[in-house]
Amino acid sequence: MEPSSRAKAWKWVMLACRIALGIIFIVAAVSKIKPLQGLPWSVASVKTSLAMFAMGIDSYQILPAWAVTPFAQILPFFELFLGLWLISGIALRVSSILSTLALCGFIAAMASVWHRGLTVTCGCFGQGGPPIGPKDMLRDGLLFLPLSLVLLVGSFILAKKSHAASARAAAAIAQAGD
Amino acid sequence: MDVFSDYQCPYCRAFYDQTLRSVIADYVSTGKVYLVHHDFPLVLHKYSGEAARWANACAEVGEFGPAEAALYDNQDEWGANGNIAKYISAAMPAGDFRRVEAIMRGSAMPAPQATGSSVDPMAGVSHPCSMDTYIAEDIKAGYQLSLPGTPDFVITYKGHAFAPIDTGVSWPVLKQLFDTLLKQ
Repeated sequence: MEPSSRAKAWKWVMLACRIALGIIFIVAAVSKIKPLQGLPWSVASVKTSLAMFAMGIDSYQILPAWAVTPFAQILPFFELFLGLWLISGIALRVSSILSTLALCGFIAAMASVWHRGLTVTCGCFGQGGPPIGPKDMLRDGLLFLPLSLVLLVGSFILAKKSHAASARAAAAIAQAGD
Repeated sequence: MDVFSDYQCPYCRAFYDQTLRSVIADYVSTGKVYLVHHDFPLVLHKYSGEAARWANACAEVGEFGPAEAALYDNQDEWGANGNIAKYISAAMPAGDFRRVEAIMRGSAMPAPQATGSSVDPMAGVSHPCSMDTYIAEDIKAGYQLSLPGTPDFVITYKGHAFAPIDTGVSWPVLKQLFDTLLKQ
């Protein structure tokens, strides 16, 4: 494959990963924010959903009680922001670092719950579901995390190439000036 | 709030001590929350079914609250030797305890326990107590919710039951949920 067509293919892969990962984060965020069954969309019902999500976080028994509610109120909006940011492609290196860190954090939290033998549901995409098990960790570790890693590695490679191209162009301009 | 618990389960004791006592004092006694206790005595706890019998018998004479507190407060003691009557009798007036004993008369272990959704909770119960049907109904209700263990609870708001919470949660977090629901 020609270097230019390889770069083109790489860009398409990156675009697909960005959109897929962005949608995953957005779906995860909306499932936590949306009103519980039977409640209408309103500020109060969103607060109730976030309070339910806080109970899910509390059941992981990782964070101190004082940190649970602020974390539960921030995380869904962070996921929503991160999802949109990934899709936009702006400052991809930073967004892919954040998504990789977030996914590593989620996997570590689930591994901790599983290791301690707690029967806790994931809460990753809303309430309910079976207790956390290897399936959840494999989903995040083998499906979501690779998407993020592709973006992370790809964004650094592209930035490096772009930096090299800029340097070459600057050198050419300088040479032409001489 | 429907709570499924096992009197011999240490996590249930922690949930009772750290959360349910506050729920009862601040929200149940003021009429803001309706709390329903369900028995889900797990088969891995030898005396859990028997303890559920005693608690239900105490409920029949209006002494459920003191009995529940006595069972959790002395869980290690009766959990080791099965002498539940000792702690129940100390938790209520002698007259009430005699009525409880009358309900329990003629029953013997094994008591109904949660052994698996394919097994009738009453299977193997050779000397039943009149309370056993209530316990068996609770166990079956737990099976329908696919409870993975205890404690577990379901919050129902305006006829809508939210997904079960499969573990105990701390009081400040649960309080926040109640407050947001009550403000709606």
